[in-house]
Amino acid sequence: MSRLFTLAPLMLFLGLAYLIPLAGIMLQSVTTPEFGMQNYSQALGDPLVWSVIRRTLRICLSVTAIAVVLAYALTLLWLNGSRGMRVFVELAIMIPFWLSVLSRTFGWLSLLSNRGLINTWLQSIGVISEPLTLIRNEFGVILGMVHFLIPFAVFPLASAMRDVDTRVVLAARGMGASRLRIFWQIFVPMTKSGIIGAALLVFVFSLGFYIVPTLLGGGRSVMVAELIYLRIFQIPNWGLAAALSALIMLSIGAFLVALIKRTEGTMK
Amino acid sequence: MNKHFQQDQVLLLKEKLESGALSRRGFMQGLALLGGTSALGLSAGSLHAADKDMVFVNWGGDAIEAMAAAFGDGFSEKTGVKVLYDGSGPLEGSIKAQAESGSPTWDLVDCDPFSGQALGKQGFMRPIDWNIVDESKIRDGFKWEYAASSYFYSYVIAYDATKYDTPPASMADFFDAEKFPGKRAMYKWGAGMWEAALMADGVAPEDLYPLDLERAHAKIAGFKDNIGAFWGGGAESQSLLLNGDVSMALIWNTRASLLHKDTDGEIAMTWAQGIVAPGSTGVLMNNPVGEKAAMEYIAHSQDPESQVKLFELLGNGPANPAADALVPEESKFFNPTDPANFAQQTPLDMAWYEENYGSALDAYLGVISA
Repeated sequence: MSRLFTLAPLMLFLGLAYLIPLAGIMLQSVTTPEFGMQNYSQALGDPLVWSVIRRTLRICLSVTAIAVVLAYALTLLWLNGSRGMRVFVELAIMIPFWLSVLSRTFGWLSLLSNRGLINTWLQSIGVISEPLTLIRNEFGVILGMVHFLIPFAVFPLASAMRDVDTRVVLAARGMGASRLRIFWQIFVPMTKSGIIGAALLVFVFSLGFYIVPTLLGGGRSVMVAELIYLRIFQIPNWGLAAALSALIMLSIGAFLVALIKRTEGTMK
Repeated sequence: MNKHFQQDQVLLLKEKLESGALSRRGFMQGLALLGGTSALGLSAGSLHAADKDMVFVNWGGDAIEAMAAAFGDGFSEKTGVKVLYDGSGPLEGSIKAQAESGSPTWDLVDCDPFSGQALGKQGFMRPIDWNIVDESKIRDGFKWEYAASSYFYSYVIAYDATKYDTPPASMADFFDAEKFPGKRAMYKWGAGMWEAALMADGVAPEDLYPLDLERAHAKIAGFKDNIGAFWGGGAESQSLLLNGDVSMALIWNTRASLLHKDTDGEIAMTWAQGIVAPGSTGVLMNNPVGEKAAMEYIAHSQDPESQVKLFELLGNGPANPAADALVPEESKFFNPTDPANFAQQTPLDMAWYEENYGSALDAYLGVISA
């Protein structure tokens, strides 16, 4: 009871600042300009919406896979490396984590543009004659997003890895298993909850990205967040924007519920 | 009113005090007014009319200071009404949100005439009062019910002059990657780009409207591999050319002339087959300072010398045809409405944009992002 009491202010705040506006958006999606489901049928019948959703899923799934794999290796280094290495990795994770997404994105721009650091350097040592196109395409978007999201994958992975019972690993080693086999058959399965947690966090977070795809995608990688922005500000159609937001929220929610149910079944 | 905006107001007051446009007493009064309104939570609407500040919302950056220098300061001196420039960007959706609330905090907005028209017909904008705003000080064909012509800007070809021996002279050249190798950049929000593609495809400038979107999109789709980026903002377009990411781009003349001057012509611009677009000022329905003061501001900003000042600061062409002759000889090349430059360009048809922009932009985004 006292627990409920201490949670009450938070619940009240969330209710006022989050649930009520959210309900407003849901309501607007079926009442603007008139009552009915026309916004939903319009959103689902629009080829632009589908192409944007496909692109968003493609980019976000790639980002999730790459970020989790890289974060896994990074977390191993962070937890098991030498003392100096641990400090180095920690700084490498934390410093970018504290920088704003805008300055990081501009950093990538000046690093990767045609007259950027990397192209100038490669050209001056004679590796390439024409600059490589590293940004203003989907590659640039994925790179920028992975870089931003790696810390979010590291933290759940680190907590899962810390929980691994080292006696199991020692037992496997005592029974003569190779290091590779210990890693794949013992260590990775034991950190599965961390992997799923990291992937979920990264995936859900990545769906709403706006600045990185706008600046690093060269205007071509329009993702869902930008499409909604377009419907609110550029060519105002608030009913349609609300319907799009609701569709995305509901489909992510359904996806998460299904995933959590499945993993609950397999994990116990 | 948000905090940033109030901070900006204080900043503006300070600047005026330093430049001598405001007495110390006025400054203290201004501060008290700001402090008072925020502390009591009063909106500007509940203050006495004479004490009200006029809020003009534009697109930020250099335009805040430039518009103050060209129009706002003079207007304040003449009428005693302070004009505050808020650079938060009057997007059509933002204006709608302001107006729908019933008691907007914005008075005037720097908007596209077709946006002003669309919003006006929904009852969100005041019709321009032609008894106060002078019709003879705007160009023929640029008069709208809900938007007063305020300046001109163009979509022009800017190119890396170090790469080409002969400069591009038409939209056909822009779309010809064999004659002019190198990546291109185009505008992400479509305006002007359909016209460019159609002219490149052989449509005569006078036959552009109504735009044949399918033909324009086919032309752009076929050329897409040569397009390095679609820019969404002026600064981005400038850095695309400066960083060498593209060697030719369709960009605003204001950015093109900056590049031209900053690089001593290494990145040059041409008016050939440019597309000239009108900017306009609109007044929000139920605006805080009232209709008369807002219309008087518009009338004040029709002064040709003030408009030349805006051109010198930002590169925007004057709305008042009488201003072109006042532009100094050495700057005339950069003026989009200079008779020699205007003749080479085609104006955007606002009536077409008002009807078709939304659906055209949807289709365009589908083409460029596919």
